[in-house]
Amino acid sequence: MIQTASDMKTYKKKLKESLDDPFLRTTLDNFGSSYKLSRAKAFENLDFDSLRNQIAEGKDASILCLEELFGTFKTNAEKAGAVVHFARDAEEANSVIASIASENRVRNIVKSKSMTAEETFLNTHLEKKGFKVTETDLGEWIIQLRHEGPSHMVMPAIHLSRRDVAALFSKMTGKEQNPDDISGMVEVARKQLRNEFLEADMGISGANFAIAETGTIGICTNEGNARLTTTLPRVHVVLAGIDKLVPDLGSALRILKVLPKNATGQAITSYVTWITGAAECGDSFDSKKILHIVFLDNGRLAMSKDPVFSEALRCIRCGACANVCPIYRLVGGHKYGHVYIGAVGLILTYFYHGRENARAIVRNCLNCQSCKAVCPAGIDLPNLIKKVYRTVLNDEHRRPVKNVLLSTVLKNRKLFHFLLRQAYLVQQPLTRGGPFIRHLPLFFEREHGFRSLPAIVRRPFRDQWEQWRPHVESPKHRVALFGGCVMDFVYPEQGKALLELLARHNVAVDYPLEQTCCGLPALMSVEETAAKEAAIQNMDALNSEKYDYILTLCASCGSHLKENYPKMFGGESDLRFRVRKFAEKVIDFSSFTVNVLKISPDVFGKSGKKIAYHSPCHLCRGLHVTDEPRKLLCFAGLEYIPSKDEDVCCGFGGSYSVEFPEISAEILRRKLDNVEKTDAEVLVTDCPGCVMQLRGGMDKRGSKIQVRHIAEVIAEEIIK
Amino acid sequence: MQKDVLLNTMKENAESVQSVVSHIKNMEEAFCYVSDLTRRQGGSTVTAPGLNIDERIALQEICGKQGIRFLSAPLRNHLREIHTSLTFADWGIAETGTLVLDSTSEDLRIATMLAESHVAILPAIRIQPDAASLESGLTALQKIFPRYMAFITGPSRTADIERILTIGVHGPRELHILIMEENES
Ligand code: SF4
Ligand code: SF4
Repeated sequence: MIQTASDMKTYKKKLKESLDDPFLRTTLDNFGSSYKLSRAKAFENLDFDSLRNQIAEGKDASILCLEELFGTFKTNAEKAGAVVHFARDAEEANSVIASIASENRVRNIVKSKSMTAEETFLNTHLEKKGFKVTETDLGEWIIQLRHEGPSHMVMPAIHLSRRDVAALFSKMTGKEQNPDDISGMVEVARKQLRNEFLEADMGISGANFAIAETGTIGICTNEGNARLTTTLPRVHVVLAGIDKLVPDLGSALRILKVLPKNATGQAITSYVTWITGAAECGDSFDSKKILHIVFLDNGRLAMSKDPVFSEALRCIRCGACANVCPIYRLVGGHKYGHVYIGAVGLILTYFYHGRENARAIVRNCLNCQSCKAVCPAGIDLPNLIKKVYRTVLNDEHRRPVKNVLLSTVLKNRKLFHFLLRQAYLVQQPLTRGGPFIRHLPLFFEREHGFRSLPAIVRRPFRDQWEQWRPHVESPKHRVALFGGCVMDFVYPEQGKALLELLARHNVAVDYPLEQTCCGLPALMSVEETAAKEAAIQNMDALNSEKYDYILTLCASCGSHLKENYPKMFGGESDLRFRVRKFAEKVIDFSSFTVNVLKISPDVFGKSGKKIAYHSPCHLCRGLHVTDEPRKLLCFAGLEYIPSKDEDVCCGFGGSYSVEFPEISAEILRRKLDNVEKTDAEVLVTDCPGCVMQLRGGMDKRGSKIQVRHIAEVIAEEIIK
Repeated sequence: MQKDVLLNTMKENAESVQSVVSHIKNMEEAFCYVSDLTRRQGGSTVTAPGLNIDERIALQEICGKQGIRFLSAPLRNHLREIHTSLTFADWGIAETGTLVLDSTSEDLRIATMLAESHVAILPAIRIQPDAASLESGLTALQKIFPRYMAFITGPSRTADIERILTIGVHGPRELHILIMEENES
């Protein structure tokens, strides 16, 4: 049923299908935008960060002692009349459940939503054994009738239109259904499924919580189908991942406080059901429910002991990491996961459904950090996605040529810079002396033509440094500039603008020439050793003792220096302290100008130029800087015009745009469309990488809107 | 939280998820409410598993006048017939407008799940600010098993077709909360 591509070629073909589906794109895009608003409203007066920390800490504590919690749960639930099972893998879980059904002479089974049952393909197994299984969650029922897997963990049928549903229901009822009468179609489901409930002898549910202290199962639903599933039939079987165990009700309530808000923006689901033991059941011979609770391991216990991947077990299945993902918003769940979808799906697929299913999808991540920012369990999803990719490569003893090259080059700054200079020469016939490469070299495929690629300059920033270097008597601050490859070799004028602004404000600046690539591209290609070597070179070059700040114009470099450096060396005691001190000094342009220089609006003219703003992923989510650039634009007498989805990725993602050009192009198109809807003259952003993508896109579409780095724009507005 | 603040928060949050909230002073008002509601909706049956015998007789009498039939336990015999159910809520949670019902009795479960309209009486003094305040009370109850507890917040809903909110999929289409100011009689 579910077929996930295991090689890039097939995967890309499948992605193309989704990209060509206009309904999917509009519906997911609208969903993404409205989700953002309803989520924000749901958390309005709450401190999300502290709730998130509570969940993460609580989950981490449980993950450490899952077996113990299982023991306690089993004792308590069995005292209350349940039978508790442990299933090592999917097959075992399915056969335990099939035997329970046979032993109790069950024929008809109703099911309320359970992602764990999707994980084990339980329906297929039970149907093969001759049982009739009916999904009762409306969305699950629809996809069951269509023989599909869910395309979202919370909204399984989100990929379908009202027309699809009407066609399906017309066929099933033999009566024409009006696609615009959604209540009417819901009514069809109500009637049909009511019969199924009344005829069923067994109900299967999932669980959102399994509370050890009392042996209680907690289930959240909106439709109320889990209540009927657990009440009407004489047998009730719960199938839950062993990671659903929590010590007590308090822990469950803390998760409950966040789960529905983060899933759909609801304060709470319509129903939350807490079942402790075998309750009264008039249909059973001794008037007691026959209750079985099956816990599925399927790799979870091994994962719980893994120092890196145990974090993924914190997941509470809210689905938010899909909702906000720009790639999910384009291609939908069936192309963005296997059974579990979204960012966490890219990770879990490897563990629950194997390498074959994970191999291609795990590469499809921009590292835009959107998922991480909304995850209520504080899972560093983009990081784990990269780690899964690394694991896949290790398993297969593969090392792509690209990786070998990248790692060799990045480890040797001189070679790297030599090659960049060579690139200038090679591209000459392509640029005709202009700022863009007009014709792509042959090794780029046609799909890369969605944006013009910038040219490498003849004289990089580092070559002009001695000449441009300002001299400041008695400086207020001493800063080291971290250039980053794109500023240095493509846009030195951005650095030049910065130097002028700093000199005017009495800031002494240094540009240590031994600095090299920040190493992020290596980390993104999961070449950790090369990434670490680049980091050490940079820390040696920019001796943080000598400077008050390490300033950068590049949000990606900045967040890599500040966040990833400490993470990469976290376990190495000899470097830990040094890295921390280095990272503390790293600052982005806008924060430095607004918070350190405290630049006064008086130094600016009042040009009132209309400006749209793109908030780089690594600035707003990596460095958590959101107010400063916007404030700075206003200080500078510019008219800042907000546009839709300002904080959604531009689609660049470093090498991502080379690997998945079709998706990158589409994300960029949306971004530029949103900007063009404003009447801005200039699109401003704080990352040379984003400038590259956005400017290339604007050039390609022949737009009049200029794309500039914020430092250039701000420097220009200063009254000379 | 102050009593009236608590009450208002409960009401506001319950109404924001399509619950219908009213105030009553005594059981008789509740019975009339149920009877009128059922007639207005064209229903012909009510059930009320939590009532004592006197209350049941009173309800039966009021409903009888409007030609509405009272369904007696066990409700398994009436799975397809229940129009309105009247129950008591054990607690209210103001923060989310939620009712908490100890639904260990099967009749109570059937009444609240299969009725077209569910009417719940919530004594004002049982309203708590948030779920966390119920933690120890609920845990204590769960230690006396078996136990089936339900948090109910508004009527049954779905958004599974094009994310359009639609009320009444599997559970009641309407949820009415009658806040009773005095102690239960
Ligand atoms: S980092 Fe961005 S692209 Fe990658 S999974 Fe998360 S949201 Fe999607
Ligand atoms: S990983 Fe986080 S955001 Fe994604 S479903 Fe799990 S809890 Fe939700």
